[in-house]
Amino acid sequence: MNVHQNYVNNLMGKITTWARVNSPWAIHFNSGSCNGCDIEILATLTPRYDIERFGIKLRGSPRHADVLICTGPVTRQARERLLRTYEQMPEPKFVVAVGSCGISGGVFQGCYNIVGHIDEVLPVDAYIPGCPPRPEAIIDGIVKLLAHLQNGTRPEPIKFVPQEQV
Amino acid sequence: MTTETSLKRATEILAPFSKGNANPETNRLDVDIEASDLPAATSALMRNQWGYLSAITPTDLGKEMNKLEVIYHFCEGAAITSLRIHLPREDQPDIPSISDQIPVASFFERELGEMLGVHVVGTPDSSRLFLPDDWPDRVYPLREDFSVEQAAPVVPRATLPEIGRVGNKFTVPIGPQHPALKEPGHFEFSVDGEIITGARMRLGYVHRGIEKATEKRNWIQNLYLLERICGICSHTHTSAYAMGVEKLAQVEVPRRAQAIREIIAGLERIHSHLLWLGVAAHEAGFDTLFMYSWRDRETVMDLLETLTGNRVNYSIIVLGGVKHDIAAEHSRSIHTALDYLEERIRYYLHIVTTDASFLQRTRGIGTMTLEEARHFGALGPTARASGLERDVRIDAPYGAYHYFPVSLITGENGDLEARFEVRMKELLVTCFTIRTLVDNLPPGELAVRFPRKIPAGETISRVEAPRGEAFYYIKSGGGESPLRIKIRTPSLCNWTSVLNKAVGHQLADVPMLIAGMDPCFSCNDRMITVRRKNDLQTFSWSQIREYGIRKYAAVRELK
Repeated sequence: MNVHQNYVNNLMGKITTWARVNSPWAIHFNSGSCNGCDIEILATLTPRYDIERFGIKLRGSPRHADVLICTGPVTRQARERLLRTYEQMPEPKFVVAVGSCGISGGVFQGCYNIVGHIDEVLPVDAYIPGCPPRPEAIIDGIVKLLAHLQNGTRPEPIKFVPQEQV
Repeated sequence: MTTETSLKRATEILAPFSKGNANPETNRLDVDIEASDLPAATSALMRNQWGYLSAITPTDLGKEMNKLEVIYHFCEGAAITSLRIHLPREDQPDIPSISDQIPVASFFERELGEMLGVHVVGTPDSSRLFLPDDWPDRVYPLREDFSVEQAAPVVPRATLPEIGRVGNKFTVPIGPQHPALKEPGHFEFSVDGEIITGARMRLGYVHRGIEKATEKRNWIQNLYLLERICGICSHTHTSAYAMGVEKLAQVEVPRRAQAIREIIAGLERIHSHLLWLGVAAHEAGFDTLFMYSWRDRETVMDLLETLTGNRVNYSIIVLGGVKHDIAAEHSRSIHTALDYLEERIRYYLHIVTTDASFLQRTRGIGTMTLEEARHFGALGPTARASGLERDVRIDAPYGAYHYFPVSLITGENGDLEARFEVRMKELLVTCFTIRTLVDNLPPGELAVRFPRKIPAGETISRVEAPRGEAFYYIKSGGGESPLRIKIRTPSLCNWTSVLNKAVGHQLADVPMLIAGMDPCFSCNDRMITVRRKNDLQTFSWSQIREYGIRKYAAVRELK
């Protein structure tokens, strides 16, 4: 009986991983970005780049989404909404930070309305650098995240270290 | 009417209120007035139909002068009249409101209140404009002695939108995260059934505090900071900034550099309008057009990448010129790309004016008459679709537009269809301008030497962004960084018109109406509210939850 149960669990695990890797649905949240990253994310959906060939679809509701794609530094007003969007997503969930501002605050470091970069607010699984990153880079970042999902591992955490502390 | 006669007329109109006149530049008139004279002076200008309110610049003159300065900028053609008011540098000095005469002033006045700590007497809405909800009271970021430590978050006052209901009327909150919005903004529409009866808006989700940040960076660093105000019209911001700083430094930009700047600006306009066409079509449920226009937009992106090395933030402008040249082989590829684009744009123009199901979403929706457009202070294609002839490239030519004029495109009906038509026709004109510029590139240097320190002074530069007039006020104290940079972007002025026109439409038309003006939230960088008469009884989220529990308990008892 126990052996049978294990077999079913394993099989179900394999099926969910297969499904997740082949159709990760994403939600996009702009927490203070300049739009540059956002239009490049939108461009990945369009015929030239066509991210849907990886089964990736941009969804409107966080409750449908597996991947949260964040752009921009986190402003004080957007912080709470970003957290709420993240909390509304079902487990397991993954966060991708797109663009220099999302990774380090970028040119907006030290502005009075900025809380900080995204991994000061949420645990980030993948970072895509660039100002803004090209659509190819965004696709590459998400596909790398998918490869980790396939192996059942989370990507290794990278901690951002400011220049002066290096 | 020439600039001189415009300014002469303004001097005459404002003579009764003037405490001192100055002409800092040939196209500018500075009039010092008392705060109490402001409504009368504004109404004199409006009565004589002198221009429109372009921006209000709040500045703290610092401890030594011990004054606050508020400047009201009015523009007519190339002429700019600035009403300069000095207030005592204390907490909440009074200044009268002018938003009963000019609706768009309501946004500027709210900004004035929270950023500089001025009490605007009689403004219809004095709630937070673009500072966060948890910002402490009596801390004003534009004051000289402001520091980030003062702004430590206090307990949020209202974290969730209120939901209201009276009879059949509901308030529907939309955003900041919403499928119909590509950028964060928060709207509250009160609806009676499906019909909108009032609209309210709060932005500030992408407010980063760039104006304050410019004061801490030097003139060159600011070029790259300001480029990142908006990823869609980044070139507009750098060129407006560079033009202003070059005027202050009295540096003449080589003609070739000016022409290259305008070529990039033209390509940016094409990419921005095609992007808008796609997003607007998507809001109408016409995803095929979205995919088509974004596919064709990649042609422009390729061109921009070839010419500047970047797809989005081109950073081709340096102070005093441009970084990269346009060579002969580039001009060939520009022509080839434009051949293709012109054909596609004609096709899209055909689609948006003939496709029956698409016209049902655009024809007669959000119609704004010429008078309304003038009254609401609309700018750019939104204004031109209503027949308002307002285009900085024509009214006040700058850079290469002196030698390569563009033709003005206006519509008549002022509805969404007209806005589609105007933008598509504008693209054809832009294609023609780019071709002319590329074929007749003036010879010469790309850039000239530029000083590190800019002489003291102040200037205004205006540039026609894809969405309308972008307004920059730049003040230098003679040092390595600016004293004050005030930025007013076109989306801010267009919100009044759109939110007012939403009333009476179906809720389903809202995404189209919002998309119709091509809003840019990051450009706005500030938040806005339009107050409508709103007799709603309001509930907080917790109240409505309690109400629900009570109601269902009562229903259970009935059973």
